[in-house]
Amino acid sequence: MDIITLAEVAGNLSVIGYGLATIGPGIGLGILFGKAMESTARQPEMSGKIQTIMFIGLALVELLGLLGFVALLIK
Amino acid sequence: MMTLADGGIDLFIPKVYDIVWSLIILVIVALFFYKFFMPKFNAIFDERAEKIEGNISKAKQAKDDADKAKKKYEDQLNQARVDASKITDDARTEATKIISEAHTRADSEAAQIAANAQRSIASQQQQAMVSLKGQVGTLATALAGKILGAKLQDGDVQQGMLDQMIDGLDKTSEKK
Amino acid sequence: MMETVGTSMLLAAGAGPELPTVNDFLPPEILFQGTPFAINRIILIRLVATVVLLLVLGITAARAKLIPGRWQGLIEYGIDFVRNNVVYETMGELRGRRYVPMIATLFFTIFIFNLFGIIPGANMAATATVTMPLVFAIWVLVQYWIAACREKGFFRYIRDECFTPGVPWPIYILLAPIQLIELLIIRPASLTIRLFANMISGHLVLATCLAFAQYWMVEAANKFVGIPVGGIWFLGGFVMTLFEAFIAFLQAYVFAILATVYINLSYPDE
Repeated sequence: MDIITLAEVAGNLSVIGYGLATIGPGIGLGILFGKAMESTARQPEMSGKIQTIMFIGLALVELLGLLGFVALLIK
Repeated sequence: MMTLADGGIDLFIPKVYDIVWSLIILVIVALFFYKFFMPKFNAIFDERAEKIEGNISKAKQAKDDADKAKKKYEDQLNQARVDASKITDDARTEATKIISEAHTRADSEAAQIAANAQRSIASQQQQAMVSLKGQVGTLATALAGKILGAKLQDGDVQQGMLDQMIDGLDKTSEKK
Repeated sequence: MMETVGTSMLLAAGAGPELPTVNDFLPPEILFQGTPFAINRIILIRLVATVVLLLVLGITAARAKLIPGRWQGLIEYGIDFVRNNVVYETMGELRGRRYVPMIATLFFTIFIFNLFGIIPGANMAATATVTMPLVFAIWVLVQYWIAACREKGFFRYIRDECFTPGVPWPIYILLAPIQLIELLIIRPASLTIRLFANMISGHLVLATCLAFAQYWMVEAANKFVGIPVGGIWFLGGFVMTLFEAFIAFLQAYVFAILATVYINLSYPDE
């Protein structure tokens, strides 16, 4: 690090990419869990079914975030 | 500089020995679950369900039996109660019958006795009257004959006087 | 990425902390090198995990009694969970009966294998190479194709999935290949990547926390700063360990339920 360099940006650009890639799934998870809670509150007797469907949705949304992670690993 | 992603692509390329071992492990685990683990636990679940069901049916049987016995006893009890009330009713009617019979008998006897007494009284009165009539007649005749003498030779007068006397006698007895 | 933070803050201390890298997932072969039966660290963990799984569940099953004890009750709860909450809830009892052993295999195996990520000494999930999830996923793929061919017939299945009725025909040019790729590649690939990437990320985060904790507490020159900072890192590692236990369960559950859903999709609608 010499004197002329005032601020060094080191690291991997794909990390930023992964950070961006988590935004979408984050929003998705928020909507997913929020809606699941809402519908469970409306129909508590359906909570088992709603939970199952919620976890399927969770798995699909999570995959998007993990694809970003994989992209980070692979570069 | 070390980064996270050195050789990252290698992660996603399966190696031959990895595949071999994964398959071996999968086959072993699957065989274990299919042939031993699940059948064993299914058998236990079935047995348990059967046992619970058996216990439930046994309990049901016992309950039915108890209900039946209870019903029987209740029936018997009711029967006994009915019998008892019937018997007391019978007894009561019998008693009333007996009492009323006795009453009527006593009444009739009393009536009979009374009638008999009345009759005998009446007959005695009659007798007395008749005998009294005869005696009073003769006595009066004799008395009058003695008092009046010849005056009373005439039969008609005699008869008239006699009647008059008897009437008078009657009146006095009535007045009394 | 962490390395930058570490060096800039700790210029006094010599080497940085031993941060985890992806090379943790590519360990060298230690036995039977070069043969198809070569064993590296992860495969060794996997073998140990298999033995543990077979021993624990095998002994439980062998000694299973009609009136369950606590441990047997726990295992039975797991079986009940797979059977009722995963399989029967999704496909109904009539269809599901056939698949209960398969889904139970997937669930229990993945769960135990994942748990090895937080078991001291192993510290690496047995599912943490791409192959193990891939093999599971291919098993699911084969099962739902078999189910489709048996219940619908091969051509009717292709027609139903790729040429969904009620869609204008030009769409088919786009739709049919996508659906075919979905059936053949995306489903197993998504199962694989989900499980594998979860294990990688879990290990990386956990190992990073612990590496920093060790570095600050033991190796840092300035103990006054080092102990509290290391303590925070250790706390993070502790929380992540618990979170990994939860993830181990969640991934097993998600894998099992997605396998069930995929198989159920192969059946004709009533």
